[in-house]
Amino acid sequence: MLRNIVRETSFLAKDRGAIFWLTLAFALSVVAVSFGVTEVREQRETIATLIKEDAADRANALQGQEEWGSAAYYAFHLTYAPPSDFAFAAMGQRDSSPWKHRVRMLALEGQIHESDTRNADFGLVGRFDFAFLAASVAPLLLILLLYDLRASERTARRHDLLVATVGSPTQLWLPRALVRVGLLALLLLTPLWIAALIESSSAGTLLQATAIVIGSLLIWWLIVELVSRIDAAPSILLTTLIGIWLALAIVVPALSKAAIEASNPVPDGGEILLLQRETVNDAWDLPKEDTMIPFVEEHPELADYAVIDGPWAWKWYYAFQHVGDQKAAPLVKQYREGRLSRDRQAGLVSLLSPTSFVERAFEKLANTDAASMVAYEDAVREFHAQLRAFHYPLMFPEKPYDANLLSSLPVYKPPS
Amino acid sequence: MNSPLETRSLSLKREGNAVLDKVSFTVAQGEIFALLGGNGAGKSSTLLTFLGFLEPSGGEVLVNGQSVASDVTAARNAIAYLPEATSLYGHMTAYENLDYFLDLAGRSAGVDELNAAFDRVALPIEARSRRLQSYSKGMRQKTAIALALLRETPILLLDEPTSGLDPVAIDEFHDLVKALAQGGQTILMVTHDVYGACQVADRVGLLRRGKLVGSFSAENGQRIDTETVHAAFAEREAA
Repeated sequence: MLRNIVRETSFLAKDRGAIFWLTLAFALSVVAVSFGVTEVREQRETIATLIKEDAADRANALQGQEEWGSAAYYAFHLTYAPPSDFAFAAMGQRDSSPWKHRVRMLALEGQIHESDTRNADFGLVGRFDFAFLAASVAPLLLILLLYDLRASERTARRHDLLVATVGSPTQLWLPRALVRVGLLALLLLTPLWIAALIESSSAGTLLQATAIVIGSLLIWWLIVELVSRIDAAPSILLTTLIGIWLALAIVVPALSKAAIEASNPVPDGGEILLLQRETVNDAWDLPKEDTMIPFVEEHPELADYAVIDGPWAWKWYYAFQHVGDQKAAPLVKQYREGRLSRDRQAGLVSLLSPTSFVERAFEKLANTDAASMVAYEDAVREFHAQLRAFHYPLMFPEKPYDANLLSSLPVYKPPS
Repeated sequence: MNSPLETRSLSLKREGNAVLDKVSFTVAQGEIFALLGGNGAGKSSTLLTFLGFLEPSGGEVLVNGQSVASDVTAARNAIAYLPEATSLYGHMTAYENLDYFLDLAGRSAGVDELNAAFDRVALPIEARSRRLQSYSKGMRQKTAIALALLRETPILLLDEPTSGLDPVAIDEFHDLVKALAQGGQTILMVTHDVYGACQVADRVGLLRRGKLVGSFSAENGQRIDTETVHAAFAEREAA
């Protein structure tokens, strides 16, 4: 077999067409990985800058405050989901879901969702990252490298001589295809491996990514192999294979996405934002009990401090912010569960489409899938709850303001 | 002793039409057997059954006494095949083409051995390092013949082997084929060239519409009489 591999490698070196497609594969991989590394570095730099500014801004905002309410109002807190050490390979949902916020102790859901339309352009067309290259472009390159292995020899009237000379056809076609598939995998993966070293990705993640790419290429090789057994002209084989690629890479994912979305209606972030803001705004004109009663239902430990005598009190203000979140909670739950449900169903349907499967697998490895973005939002909610848990026992009993206590403000911890 | 090549009541159908109809013949070791016939007589199809590319609808095809159907790889390994209108790789030189095809056959040859083969087929020295895309049809045919020589198989199947060769090269080729047969190689060639077949073959079989309708042998060291074969060929074709 080794001898056959060496022979076909030498043969390939003289095939300009194959060299072109392989060179293109390497170039595209370098570009995709470079885009990813650059984007991830920019995101890390952005986060690092924001972390630096966050503490200074908050210290500045808290300076001179004399009330718990105003201290909570003016203090912003940075929350973020740092890109994983493999995110460069698959930006995934980081392009369409927010991964950083500056939250205050106001109603939270509106703050989370006011920026969820970021990068809508990427949400539409997708980013040219390694996951896209491996999932969608690599199969096309594989088709172009393999579709006419036999047919071109038939067209050139060389097929019978080749097979008669080699004796067993598998000693010809298998190594010839194997060299092409192997080199394609190597040229696609080399930039990924180098970037993974630079980014200190874990060996386990990299091994899994490598296995996914090779597995995907093997599946497409099988498809090409089955189609190219048809005794037809190269152009017909190519048309058939491109048709299969279109079906598996475009049509099946698009139709399944539409079907999944139709069967799992999910409110968009704007609806949550609107409902929460309307609730908060309406509260100004409602009797204060209408706010404080539902608030106390969730915080019975503050019942003794929930009577608002005057026209204005910070605790009333924060209570109706809180109730805004309470009102939005069913919609938020529907949104969260709907996204996860869509994601689960998309995972099942991806078994029908190698391209979807590869993209999803990469996003999972890179922690840029829907579940990871939901986990980030949950981390923001948890932090916000800690903020409330810090402020409410000070604010509601109207304890004297003590700036020293602010050193115990909760610190945001990104999801691991 | 088994004949290197043999067909027993070989029948072949393609797309429902009979291509070969109970064709039986043997080719002995060191013999040159020429199958002569017009277009569509089934000559090339006969060769392809020996290589296992076409499956008989009836009868049997044997190489060295073994059914091709039972071990096609063994049959192919015993045969060097020179197809009609050979198309080797145009983007490779004659040396590279032979290197590649010999490697496919599981053997290698040094430059001296390659040059010796090229000398035997009279391929010009200056052409050997050129890509085949610049070759004439005759030069490509010579390269393919050199490949067949270098295979050193006990059996040679030649499909219109002199197609594209000039008269001098044809004569040289005939001499070469005779020398190979004298060296013990078994040769089955198919052609529609009556003169060429009679010049080189020990036996000529007439194939018409898939049936073997006549056979002529060289006797007493004489060549087969071209006029006799030509007359029979013309008569059969006209029938």
